[in-house]
Amino acid sequence: MAEEEFTDINGNSISLDCQTHSAFCREFTVTAPKLSLRKVMVCTCFIWLFAYAIFFLTENTAVLSSAIILTLAGMMIHIHFVKVDHETLLIIGSLGIQLSSSYASGRESTTFIEMSKLKDIVINEAVYMHSIIYYLCILIKDPAEPETVASVVPLFQSSKPRLNCLVQVYRSCQEILAETR
Amino acid sequence: MVLKIFFPQCCNIADSGLLIGHWIPGHNSAVVLAVVHYPFIPGQVKKYLNQMQSQSQVHLTVLGSWSMPKEGKEGMDSFLKDLSTIFPQKCWLQLSREIGKTGFTCQVVQNDGKLLQDRKEKNDDDSSEEDKIIFVHYDQRKVMLSQLHPVQEVSQKSEIEPSELRLVFQTVAQSQPLFFLDKYDDGPLKLTHWQSEGREASIIAELLKQASVPVCIFLTWLLSLWHWFCSFRILHSWPVLFISSKLSTCVQSGYRGVHFKTVFSPQKAATHMDFMRKANIFVSFLVDIALGLLLVSWLYRENRISKLADTLVPVADRVAKELQELLEWLMGAPAGLKMNRALDQVLGRFFLYHIHLWISYIHLMSPFIERILWYVGLSACLGLTFALSILSDIVALLTFHIYCFYVYGARLYCLKIYGLSSLWRLFRGKKWNVLRQRVDSCSYDLDQLFIGTLLFMILLFLLPTTALYYLVFTLLRLVVVLFQGVIHLSVDFINSFPLFAIGLRICRPYRLAEGVKFKVLCQEPGTPLHLMMEINPLKFSSVLQCYRTPTYSGYPKDSWAALSKKLFVGELIYPWKQKTTKTD
Amino acid sequence: MGNRRRGHTHAPKTPPLSLDTHSSDHEQDVKHRICMVSDFFYPNMGGVESHIYQLSQCLIEKGHKVVIATHAYGDRRGIRYLTNGLKVYYLPLQVMYNQSTATTCFHSLPLLRCVFVRERITIVHAHSSFSAMAHDALFHAKTMGLNTVFTDHSLFGFADLSSVLTNKLLTVSLCDTNHIVCVSYTSKENTVLRATLDPEIVSVIPNAVDPTDFTPDPSRRDNSKITIVVISRLVYRKGIDLLSGIIPELCGKHPDLCFLIGGEGPKRIVLEEVREKYQLHDRVRLLGALDHKDVRDVLVQGHVFLNTSLTEAFCMAIVEGASCGLHVVSTRVGGIPEVLPDELVTLCEPSVQSLCDGLETVIARIRTGNVASPATIHRKVRTLYTWRNVAERTEKVYNRVCREPVLPLSDRLHRLRSHCGAVAGSIFSFVAVITFLFLLFLQWLRPDHLIDVAVDSSGPHSRLGQHVSKKTSKTPNPAVS
Repeated sequence: MAEEEFTDINGNSISLDCQTHSAFCREFTVTAPKLSLRKVMVCTCFIWLFAYAIFFLTENTAVLSSAIILTLAGMMIHIHFVKVDHETLLIIGSLGIQLSSSYASGRESTTFIEMSKLKDIVINEAVYMHSIIYYLCILIKDPAEPETVASVVPLFQSSKPRLNCLVQVYRSCQEILAETR
Repeated sequence: MVLKIFFPQCCNIADSGLLIGHWIPGHNSAVVLAVVHYPFIPGQVKKYLNQMQSQSQVHLTVLGSWSMPKEGKEGMDSFLKDLSTIFPQKCWLQLSREIGKTGFTCQVVQNDGKLLQDRKEKNDDDSSEEDKIIFVHYDQRKVMLSQLHPVQEVSQKSEIEPSELRLVFQTVAQSQPLFFLDKYDDGPLKLTHWQSEGREASIIAELLKQASVPVCIFLTWLLSLWHWFCSFRILHSWPVLFISSKLSTCVQSGYRGVHFKTVFSPQKAATHMDFMRKANIFVSFLVDIALGLLLVSWLYRENRISKLADTLVPVADRVAKELQELLEWLMGAPAGLKMNRALDQVLGRFFLYHIHLWISYIHLMSPFIERILWYVGLSACLGLTFALSILSDIVALLTFHIYCFYVYGARLYCLKIYGLSSLWRLFRGKKWNVLRQRVDSCSYDLDQLFIGTLLFMILLFLLPTTALYYLVFTLLRLVVVLFQGVIHLSVDFINSFPLFAIGLRICRPYRLAEGVKFKVLCQEPGTPLHLMMEINPLKFSSVLQCYRTPTYSGYPKDSWAALSKKLFVGELIYPWKQKTTKTD
Repeated sequence: MGNRRRGHTHAPKTPPLSLDTHSSDHEQDVKHRICMVSDFFYPNMGGVESHIYQLSQCLIEKGHKVVIATHAYGDRRGIRYLTNGLKVYYLPLQVMYNQSTATTCFHSLPLLRCVFVRERITIVHAHSSFSAMAHDALFHAKTMGLNTVFTDHSLFGFADLSSVLTNKLLTVSLCDTNHIVCVSYTSKENTVLRATLDPEIVSVIPNAVDPTDFTPDPSRRDNSKITIVVISRLVYRKGIDLLSGIIPELCGKHPDLCFLIGGEGPKRIVLEEVREKYQLHDRVRLLGALDHKDVRDVLVQGHVFLNTSLTEAFCMAIVEGASCGLHVVSTRVGGIPEVLPDELVTLCEPSVQSLCDGLETVIARIRTGNVASPATIHRKVRTLYTWRNVAERTEKVYNRVCREPVLPLSDRLHRLRSHCGAVAGSIFSFVAVITFLFLLFLQWLRPDHLIDVAVDSSGPHSRLGQHVSKKTSKTPNPAVS
């Protein structure tokens, strides 16, 4: 039930909540900071001022209405598809691993990976944008050849925690995997 | 190993009794399917289970006992423990609930009678042991009806061993016969499962099911008549075949015939995919007809047909006239460019004569156009796709002159480009080696070089004139192709859109499952872990991808780069693709 | 490869070329964290690539931490681990021409900075003057205040326009590099002149070959005929046009002569045409691109090794050929005369006639049996060039470099202007200032303390040896090539 503060790769603070349901069932929740009202206000004001400036020059009211629609639609898309509120990793020994991310609008997308498909959980390095980061990922077995890795599923994709946080999650995941194999 | 028990939600409040279910081989997990209540006669239970097993092909066993304490009744713990001797099993589960608690407790007895885990005795010294059990609660009805994706049929034995969850889903789906017994049945056994409160049934659905077989047989007979008609030899002679392969109406009707054959086959759909395909085709057919009827009702009101016919001839005239002006512009000095006058005049006159021919044909036809349109409009009764295909054909026929111009221009241009490229190689002392498919170096004579240079210069100076004609007619052709392409795409869309699957996904999301998701139920100290298994519905994008009816006319296969290269080199482009090869 | 090398520990007896660095012994046990930067690395094949790999392996053996930064090759991008925890960063930078990245002086800074910071690099070692990424790295390392070393693997002219331009660029990028390493004296002379350097800071450390990889095997030869082996990339620089003149002339004179040509490149078509024109399909065999491990199997099939390069700083191929016991015929260009003692190599002028003459004398000697046996040649070559020796000498360069101070920005600008001429100096001073501001911006955007320090896979704090089981699971793609 411990909640700890960490930072993501950009220095924003995130919190890791580790819930132990039983000896082989643990839930990690990484919570990103909430959508800041100030940012939204600034963004909206900026677009509207810009639209008003165009309106002032062209005297076309369609500009204003389209700006309003644009901000609303952009906002909807942002909270529904982009802004992730928290990401959860539920690891259940001998059953599987469930990843879910819930968006700011309340939409939730969940994937469950069965233990028989899972090869391992590892920390890997990747080039991301203009930096090199560590990330936690699940290696999926190739069903035809169990020794090879068919694909890689990255974890905590939207809130990218730093290495110290990843190491903590990695350790507890490995504990459970070692216990139930 | 951790013991996993899949427990149906509906049995949570069942009376005490025996647990019936299935051990999943190799996974150390048990699926509870139903609870048999007291009183029962063990022999009858065994007989019933054997009977069910032969029906459902699932190895059903008595998993253990279930005790539900009630007010004023004493527990039957000792009795339940004794039951394990009557139903000999490798492992005997004793599930029990306590009043005022939501979680269950579970004891596992190995066949030698030793308690593997006894919560009461080991409570204080080894608390981790009790955690070795997971209860996974599931909704029996949803799990029974849902189809895990990617679809893997039971009958086809693949190399890959099915995963545990898939086995659970299969077990529940196959043990459907077990669920037919409800509490109104007057049998010797009383069971609790999802249908125990009374079976779902609808008279209309049953009647439809009964009626569908003769209807299908009749329609198949009609279809065979149509096939017999199609198989006349005269329809297989070369010109008919060629024209019918180019007319999108004929293609669409052939396509529809194949669809009907699938839908109206009197056999029951064996697999899930077959069923979904049938349903998808049927629903899109219905929608198509409905849209077509709407169009007809709109078209035949207020004399719209004759208005349309009245506008059509002037439009064709107008197009021809515009083309004529364009050609005259090209024959002068278009955009200030100085062309080769002689070639320009020859080409321009040639095209002008074509337009003249075309206009006279149109005028010859104009009195009949309204009649034709009236009959053609009726075809919309067959569906919107037919109306659209006919529209596409009409457009193709009306713009035949543009197509001709384009072909002439492209052939001429292509010839020049090829000539220029091979002469350019000659310049550099190279040649194309056909055998080895590469450019070799080669030494030429002086005469060859001289002739080559002459030809090269002539071709080079004539190229701009040809290129201009080619450019203009290609642009016109592209407009027509674009229009026809849009029509083809929409016909394709109506034909292949999996309407039924999408509807199923919206109204019954659990029917198409991508996987499952688990929720941890409230945890009480002293009870094993309880999880709730819910069904994770398939994403809309994967529904589309999975259930799209394969179409015969593919989307343009070449990329934009390939297309522009073709345009540059002067190869012909067509809106229609090879329709004989089936593309998914 | 690394494991095999570990078993072989005899020290080089006669280092053929002296090292002009003055290193003191008490600096011996300082361990460096080195980042090798070059556009050229495996899976690309060539001299620079194997130089970087072998040098890194020997440095890791000596206890230093080494990482390599190169650009992405096809789908090989991201981070890979090679033998002994050699970590390679395949950075996604746009390749422009000939596997060299485009240089803008700026766009590679964020990624290189990230590599330098997270690996806590102390010395940046750039390779090859053809590599734009290496020059970028030198520039950025100076901006970030790191010491730099540069190894030049190639020779340049002075006359044509492109050389004038590249020489100017080289002057700029080497003007505040702490130390430069060249592979031969010719190369040193060339580099000093091109980049107007102080000869004091230029050392000569030759390339090396692994003698255990190239052992002679006379039984594989077909002694009924004489085989000439050519192994090089089939490009203009390697003199393939000379080769296409030699082949018909010699094949006409000697009916028992065959050619075995390994390598791939744009000039392959020239050789194919020659082969077809003179009907030499059974005598000239084109093997196509060879893996490094197959090179030896090809070499031992021949009697004579032919090198037709038009320019070469230090020819590794002729050492490999000689190590396999072949008699070497080569053009006398660049640093080639320094490489092998005279009794092992026949040097000719870079013309068809001279090369033919040279080859004919060698063929005549082979016919009379007047040549050294492969085993003797191998024994002579074996001790000449070893990677262990190269690594030791490079280490001395590092020890010297790490004591030197890094110039602050103002001194750097001053040096640039005084050293590179008024126009280019001013331009590049401006670029240096912009880069510095860009670095400040990056440091504001993502401060150094937010970049996770990487887990060492080589060097004194390597985690590779301690937690083998853990690390194997941590490196899903441990190594290739």
